[in-house]
Amino acid sequence: MSARDEILSAIRTRRVKNAPRPARYAPPPPESDLVKQFADRARRTAAEVQILNDLSDVPAAVADILRGKNMEAAIHLPPHSPFAALDWKTAPGLSLESKSPGPDDAALALVPFGIAETGTLVNPARDSAPASWHFRPGLEIAVIHTRDILPHMENVFARIKQSGALPHTINFVSGPSRTGDIEQTLELGAHGPKALAILIVEEA
Amino acid sequence: MTASTPQEFPAEAHAALSDETLKVALRRLKTHFALGRQLAFTRYGDMEALREQGRAIRDYALSRLDSLLESFERQVKSRGGQVHWARDAKEARDIILKILRETGAKTVTKGKSMVSEEIALNPFLEANGMHPVETDLGEYIIQLRKEPPSHIIAPAFHLSKEQVAETFRESHTELDPRRSLEERTTLVLEARRMLRAQFEAADAGITGANFLSAEEGAAVIVTNEGNGDLTRLLPKTHIVLTGIEKVVADLDDVSVLLRLLTRSATGQDISSYVTVMLGPRNAKEADGPENFHIVLLDNGRSRLIGTEAEDVLRCIRCAACLNHCPIYGAVGGHSYGATYSGPIGAALNPNLLGVSAARHHTNASTFCGRCAEVCPVKIPLPKIMRYWRAREYASGLAPKAMTFGLGLWAFAAKRPALYRFFSATVAWTLRKLGGKKGHVHALPIMNGWFAVRDFPAPQGKSFHHLWAHRK
Repeated sequence: MSARDEILSAIRTRRVKNAPRPARYAPPPPESDLVKQFADRARRTAAEVQILNDLSDVPAAVADILRGKNMEAAIHLPPHSPFAALDWKTAPGLSLESKSPGPDDAALALVPFGIAETGTLVNPARDSAPASWHFRPGLEIAVIHTRDILPHMENVFARIKQSGALPHTINFVSGPSRTGDIEQTLELGAHGPKALAILIVEEA
Repeated sequence: MTASTPQEFPAEAHAALSDETLKVALRRLKTHFALGRQLAFTRYGDMEALREQGRAIRDYALSRLDSLLESFERQVKSRGGQVHWARDAKEARDIILKILRETGAKTVTKGKSMVSEEIALNPFLEANGMHPVETDLGEYIIQLRKEPPSHIIAPAFHLSKEQVAETFRESHTELDPRRSLEERTTLVLEARRMLRAQFEAADAGITGANFLSAEEGAAVIVTNEGNGDLTRLLPKTHIVLTGIEKVVADLDDVSVLLRLLTRSATGQDISSYVTVMLGPRNAKEADGPENFHIVLLDNGRSRLIGTEAEDVLRCIRCAACLNHCPIYGAVGGHSYGATYSGPIGAALNPNLLGVSAARHHTNASTFCGRCAEVCPVKIPLPKIMRYWRAREYASGLAPKAMTFGLGLWAFAAKRPALYRFFSATVAWTLRKLGGKKGHVHALPIMNGWFAVRDFPAPQGKSFHHLWAHRK
């Protein structure tokens, strides 16, 4: 017998329990203002959060963030990024890079879903948003629209499944990279971004 | 340091008690992990309902393990991934080596995986010409030091930052030997720099899985560092190694278990990264693995099904039972001489290593029950330890003195008059020995027991006596 058949048959022969499928879990009800809940929870994960009135404010906000961190005035956009179409002249001196970001670079991402319960960004891998870009840079700046903020992880899975074929990877990101592996003391920036800035864009 | 064996537990535990660095680290478990868990549970609200849901989700999955695994396999294959089944550690190691050889891999980055420790993968890969590199900071540190992990989720928690600095200085010989390594931040950044080069150079990546979902065919990992993701995404081949018991019905069930896992483990509402891995990348995508393999390991798990110990398969490896255990809290993880330590180790090891080899683990318990109280999926850990103790006794593995003593007790207990006579005599003697303070400090042939304890002398009348009087 193959290993597969032997394992499956061992499971079938020994089984005595017949546990019922539990009823669907109802997570704690979301707060009345989902955007506020999302922003609050994201800040708890050590993300920096700003609310912008319009997508056209993104270039200036990016330039500000980089200046505030004394970082080089350069932002990495993946090929086919929807942000390439923005008017970047509103942020003079800022250069756009298309190559993969290094561990001290900054990268910009459009995030299709957010989770209010935990302040989490959800990134299904796609052509315009390579999964590794959420882990390579030193700073990730993530843009999310208020309408894409959903109450719970379950809501996000339902939306991704509705949209058709599943991606190869779905990355849930809550705050910058961290480790407690030395003396159980929190340090940011273990392998992934040392900082995460979230720009929430309000609907017109 | 050479790893100890489970048989050496008593001596190792004794030595650990006087290890000052370990004492500091173990104290931190209470102020960091245990307190963090408590705060996270309070913030959440109805944790009892969440735990009950977690238990029910795992029980449902375990009672349909075969069909869920088949569904998982079908889904992974439909998206171009491959699923391998391994009866034991050797089969799993061979499968992984074969995949690596077929893809021409040499350098292999690794995400944190207890199953990989369980099958002793690294020494095997090294012996076969591969270069495995642990990328979780804690695992990286102990790999450099050639130590086993001392905790399920914090493998290097037993070390001080000075010890880590010393290890980095000895290992990273290409860096300036005069550099300062006093701060934790400096150590983290040095590891970040050293390991980034390894991620970029790796031919294959190996991670574990915290959960598998049957309906979607997903493997899910949680990390805080992002090392699991760079391990998955940068190399050409990604291998997921995990136990067959990790599967649940769907991603909604995973969402519930994630709420329990991170709160119970580190006190976080969610870990920095949760990654749902569904298959290899398609041809036009910029990154992601071209080859995606899942290795499903049995290694004794299936033989627990239908036994009194089967509830241990619900475990989601959060380590809350370690963080709350008075035994683990005194002697640490290395004393156990096994991959899994603490209460969960005591429940798993007799099956993995044999009842005889792991007998010290199941006997090292005060049965205080904290482990079961904090378990996010309500595993009755003391009950399972008792089950293994009963098995040890039944197979005649218990020490002769204990078997003899219990036999004597059983003989008397079945004869009430005899039992009353003996217990009255013993109580009278102990009372005399206890003197004014009411404590017995020593008894013949019981030096071992009395070396670290006093025995309170019986006071007043026996239960039988009082019962007869009240009636």
